[in-house]
Amino acid sequence: MIPSDAEALDLLAAEHVLGTLDAREAEAVRRALPVNGALREAVLAWEARLAPLTGLAPPAEPPPGLLPRIEASLAAEAAPVVPMAPRTARPAAPGPFWKAWAIGSSAVAAGLALFLAMRPAEGPRMTTVLLSSRDQPAWLVEAEGGGLRLASVNPRPVEAGRVQQLWALPNGATVPISLGLVPEGGQASVAPGIVRPEPGMLIEISLEPPGGSPTGRPTGPVLFIGRLAPARLL
Amino acid sequence: MADTNPVAHLPRPDEGGPDIAGMLLGVAAGEAGALRRLYEAQASRLFGVAMAILRDRDAAADALHDAMVRIARRAGQFDPARGEAPAWLAAVVRNAALDLARLRGRESPTDDPRLGDAVLAPEALERIALSQQSLRLRECLAALEPRNRDGIVLAFVHGLSHAQIAARLDEPLGTVKAWIRRGLLRLKGCLA
Repeated sequence: MIPSDAEALDLLAAEHVLGTLDAREAEAVRRALPVNGALREAVLAWEARLAPLTGLAPPAEPPPGLLPRIEASLAAEAAPVVPMAPRTARPAAPGPFWKAWAIGSSAVAAGLALFLAMRPAEGPRMTTVLLSSRDQPAWLVEAEGGGLRLASVNPRPVEAGRVQQLWALPNGATVPISLGLVPEGGQASVAPGIVRPEPGMLIEISLEPPGGSPTGRPTGPVLFIGRLAPARLL
Repeated sequence: MADTNPVAHLPRPDEGGPDIAGMLLGVAAGEAGALRRLYEAQASRLFGVAMAILRDRDAAADALHDAMVRIARRAGQFDPARGEAPAWLAAVVRNAALDLARLRGRESPTDDPRLGDAVLAPEALERIALSQQSLRLRECLAALEPRNRDGIVLAFVHGLSHAQIAARLDEPLGTVKAWIRRGLLRLKGCLA
């Protein structure tokens, strides 16, 4: 899709900046940008060349509610998924379980669920196993104390130049909430307060460009998905 | 490629306005209020850029929203050595607006009256700011054949697809594509 010939590459970059590529071509360029230095240079050079043309657009006042809307969107995604704290910093109990999960990569979802159900109850706890499109268990999710913890049960490399983004879709919502980018290393947590875990809430991980979805909604394929349920009912 | 960039090494235009690059660096550093200051300084210019492409206030507001979220997230990617902050901001807004335009089915020909004829008037070029790099671009655009220039302006400023430009200029699609490519190559040669 991306030519290696220098002239063809430059023309593609020019038409990308000009905006005349169709959606499919534009997406191909966007995907190639992080990994194709020559294309990136060509696009930057064309942006610099044509930038003064934006002066042809007369200024216009945006609607007054736009800044609050932008700030609300940013606040909603402000607390990113961060790697889990070192084990020593947390109560001892859950640790070995998560370690066991990470190692038990061949376990099937039903087995995981049973194991979880056997854990001592500490208040309302919900869990789910995020499955791949082939129903392979990929991530174990546990909601507790208003936050979420994730552990990979089947670690696999992320596609080069892409990141994984975690989303939650509360019951009745039509637009998922970004919970942040999934760090490498197979473990992650979401601080309480970003989303209120509830039974039936969908949790999903999508494949996104570097920095996460540019639109605030999943733009790439959903890699893994699961629905939170009370642990004892799984 | 970087060495052939015609504008990266030119002195900054002396606009005497607010320090947009400084605001952007403040956003990257997570300074409180930096994004709001940036928005207040640039929103009307950037909303104009989105409006020229989408010609619909709601859609342009969506585009500026998406762009500001991207800007907040990626401010750290802005490199003052590689270009002007206002140009970087406008590029993010254009991309967000073009994404929306594509989603809204841009591929059908349009005879949008809101576009008007003024956009193709020769004096429209006078609106390009008077910085050094802009003057050079203006000269190079003026040297293009009008149909090549019109195609470039309709695409870049107004977000029209090849098909829409062909419909507007009443020329075959293949011809318009070739004109625009020729115009781009001439522009590059002229700016080099």
